[in-house]
Formats: sequence, structure tokens, C-alpha cells
Amino acid sequence: MAGSSSAIVRILEEAGSIAHFTGRFFRQAMHRRFAWDELLRQCLVNGYRSLALVGITAFIMGLVLTVQTRPTLARFGAETMIPGMVAISMVREIVPVITALICAGKIGSSMGAELASMRVTEQIDAMEVSGTNPFRYLVVTRVWSTTLMLPILVVLADVIAIGASWVGVNMRATMSWPLFLHNVLDSLAYSDLVPAFIKTYFFGLVVGVVGCYAGWHAARGTAGVGGAAHKAVVVGSLLVFIIDLIAVQITDLLGFN
Amino acid sequence: MNSPQVHTDARALVVRLRDLGLSFGSNHVLRGFDLDVHRGENVMVLGRSGSGKSVLLKCIVRLLDPSAGQVEVLGQDVLTLDDEALDRLRVRVGFLFQSSALYDSMTVQENLEFPLRRHWMATSPGEADARVEEVLRAVGLAHTRHMYPAELSGGMKRRIGLARTLILKPEVVLYDEPTSGLDPITSLEMVELILDLQRNYGTSSIIISHDLNVAKRAADRIAVLYEGRNHVEGTYEELRASTDPLVRKFFVMM
Repeated sequence: MAGSSSAIVRILEEAGSIAHFTGRFFRQAMHRRFAWDELLRQCLVNGYRSLALVGITAFIMGLVLTVQTRPTLARFGAETMIPGMVAISMVREIVPVITALICAGKIGSSMGAELASMRVTEQIDAMEVSGTNPFRYLVVTRVWSTTLMLPILVVLADVIAIGASWVGVNMRATMSWPLFLHNVLDSLAYSDLVPAFIKTYFFGLVVGVVGCYAGWHAARGTAGVGGAAHKAVVVGSLLVFIIDLIAVQITDLLGFN
Repeated sequence: MNSPQVHTDARALVVRLRDLGLSFGSNHVLRGFDLDVHRGENVMVLGRSGSGKSVLLKCIVRLLDPSAGQVEVLGQDVLTLDDEALDRLRVRVGFLFQSSALYDSMTVQENLEFPLRRHWMATSPGEADARVEEVLRAVGLAHTRHMYPAELSGGMKRRIGLARTLILKPEVVLYDEPTSGLDPITSLEMVELILDLQRNYGTSSIIISHDLNVAKRAADRIAVLYEGRNHVEGTYEELRASTDPLVRKFFVMM
């Protein structure tokens, strides 16, 4: 009993600490001495260099979902509904969540390990004593980059997944691209697109914040570096699901479902 | 030899520490440490491993917040400065880390340009280039410009760390164990470098070390840190002639 209550206290302390770290990000986020060069570099590292992994994953997801959906719909003679159904599933839920999880794994862990390593080798201290605010230079730019890049990655992944779905449809039947696209666009409404797009900004924010938080507060020593990467992935992924749950409740309350 | 309280010097004070205290839980590392450093002076703080020497240095630039006392650097009360003012002061104070703390994802040139770019201290790439060339020559490593820290030896890293500090033209340099882990010849070169910088750049320095060779060659004055206080201070010769049992132990054992 005492063990479980102390675990709850630890979780609440960690949650409070992450919330405080997020507040610090927002306070520094628009500072006049913004490191634009570092933001661009981080956007390149976290956005452009994640494109291949996100793209391949999106292609596989689109193809697999289409192929697996076909037998069920074929039983009801509703194969023409495949494009619309796959598109809605992909755009509303699967692509944003899977892309965010990939980013939590790839970007979050790399941020956690990099900042933890800089902390362990006193590089963050060196930056601080040279009169450069390391939080602003390292954390603010990284969190902004994931917040801005993740929605773009999701949009690109949506397009790739829908393209892969067309490939999947044409593996067993024939459907022209214009007809396929017409079916997709016909079934997608703004109420599918807008909430799904908005939540990706929160996914990006949480991936960046948790990755940086884990590295910034890493324990000293090499074990701290591994621990930071691990924490960035585990906590980041968990928070992605929690945000998704909250987003679904909000869109439901607002009548978007 | 002087007690720390009565030390006097007509030159301007650049660092003034009074009654400095810092504890980690029940471990009282500093318990009322006093020190004055004057312009152009090299002061060494001598102490055993774990006596709080590095902690003392970090308190001076507020990498650690002391729990008690006063820290004045270049006439400013460090403990009451806001973040912006503290950053401006830190530009005027160089810090050489024991680990060198070079940015390992950057080349030597990028390491040196980093503080210049962040403080808009070079108006053109040409000027930045000239500043990099100047400090690399000052530390005798002009050929390492395009190398990464992983390609440098321990002594070279220490020199590049010093070059990165020098590029901002600091008035005070804080050296954290500048010769630890270096062979005797490289240590001697490091000491010569510290003296060159004092002569050529007019810097004042606090040197943290337990290396008596550094004390003998580089220090104008030595303060012995013991049990969190400035136990005694004086020149190398004064301390060598001291009858204080603790000071004797240093000079006999090391």
C-alpha cells in the first residue's frame, strides 16, 4: 500500500515537473534573442530527416489496412467503400498517432540522449557560462521544431498512405486514380481533417517537451544518457495516447464525430 | 603570509568573495570562504580533492547558487543580477572546464565561433575568421581549425577550451584544474600559456588546482581551501616557509 502510494506521488511529481518545464518553454518561446539558425537546423534534423521513415511507415499502413479491410467489405459487396473508409481511418486516427509514436521514438529519444550527453560532459554548463542561455538555444528551438514539423510530416504521411491504399485496391481489382480520389474526397469532411490536424501540433509539442525534459534533467553519468532516451520514448508515447484520448473527447463534445 | 581577512592591495578588485557558504544537504562544502582577486593577478586556490574547489568556482559564475555570502565580480553583485545582466557579466568572465566541455558535434572553428555568433561580436564572417585565427595562434593550435574534439588529445582539448574562452576577450578567467590528467610536459606548456594570457591579454585569474607546479610558476598568490574556509593565503614562497601543519602537509606530501 505504502509502495503504491509513493509510486503515485512520484508520478505526480514527475507530471508537475514536466508541466513546469512546459511553462518555462512558453515563457521563453518568443524571446527577442531567438536562435533562428538553430531552429532551422533542428527543423532539418527532426523534419526532413524523419521523412523517409515516416513515409515508408505510412505507405505500409495504407497498403496493409486496405488489403485487410477488403475481405470484410467484399462480404457485403461494399468494396467501393474501401477508399473512403481507409482514408477516414488514416487521416483521423492512424497516421497522426503512428507518426507521433515514430517521432517519439526517433526524435524524442535522440533529443533526450543528446541533451543528457551534453549535460554529463558539462557542455550545457559551458554554454551557460559563455553568456548563452542554454534553455533558449537548445530546448526552445527543439520544441518549436517538433511542434512545427510533426503536422507537416502527418500531412505528407496522409498523402502517402492514401496513395498506398490506391495501390492496395488495385492489387486485386482495378480502380482509376481519379475515381479513387473522388471517393476519398467525397468521404472526408472538414470535421475529419481539422481536429486531426490540430491535435498533431500537441503531439509535436509533447514529443519535443518530453525529449528535452528527459535530457535536461538526466542523471549524471553514462547511465543517465540511456535513461533519458528511455524516458523520452516511454513518457512521450504515453502522453501521445493521453492527448489523443482527450482530443477524441473534445471533438465528440463539439459534435465533430 | 597573510590571513585572508587582512590582505590588502592597491589595485582594483575584480573578484570579491565574502563569507561564501554552500551546502548539499548535510554536507557543508563551503563555510564562510573569503577571497579577493585584483586586476591582473593570478590567484590559485589550493585544496585537496573533494574540498569544494570546483564548487567555489561554479558559485562565482552562479552555475551553483551559494546558500550564504556575497559574490562580487567586476563590481557587480552576482547573486542579485537578473538573467540578462548575468549573461552580460558572464561574457566578461571566462571559464575553463576540467573536462574542456567542447561542443562535440562542432568542429574547433565552430566551437570558437559559437560565442561570437551568439553575442553578435563579429560583424562579418571575415572578422569572425580573424578572431578564430588569433586565438588559435595564441594557444598554438592553428592547424586544428577543422578538426572535431574527438580527434584532439586531452592537452589540445584544454587549449581549445581556453581559446573558446579567450575569443570573448574576458577580463577574468576561471581555471578549473587546468593541468589535471596531463603529462608533466603538457602541464608545463599549460602553465606557460596561462602566464602568456596574463601578460598579453591582461587577464586576472582564479586557478583551482592541487598541483604545486602550477602554484609555483603561475600563481601570484595562493589561498588554501580547507574545511570550506580560506585557511591561509600568501605567495608560494611564504606558504613553503609556513609552519602551519596543514600547509606543511601539502608541501611535504605533494
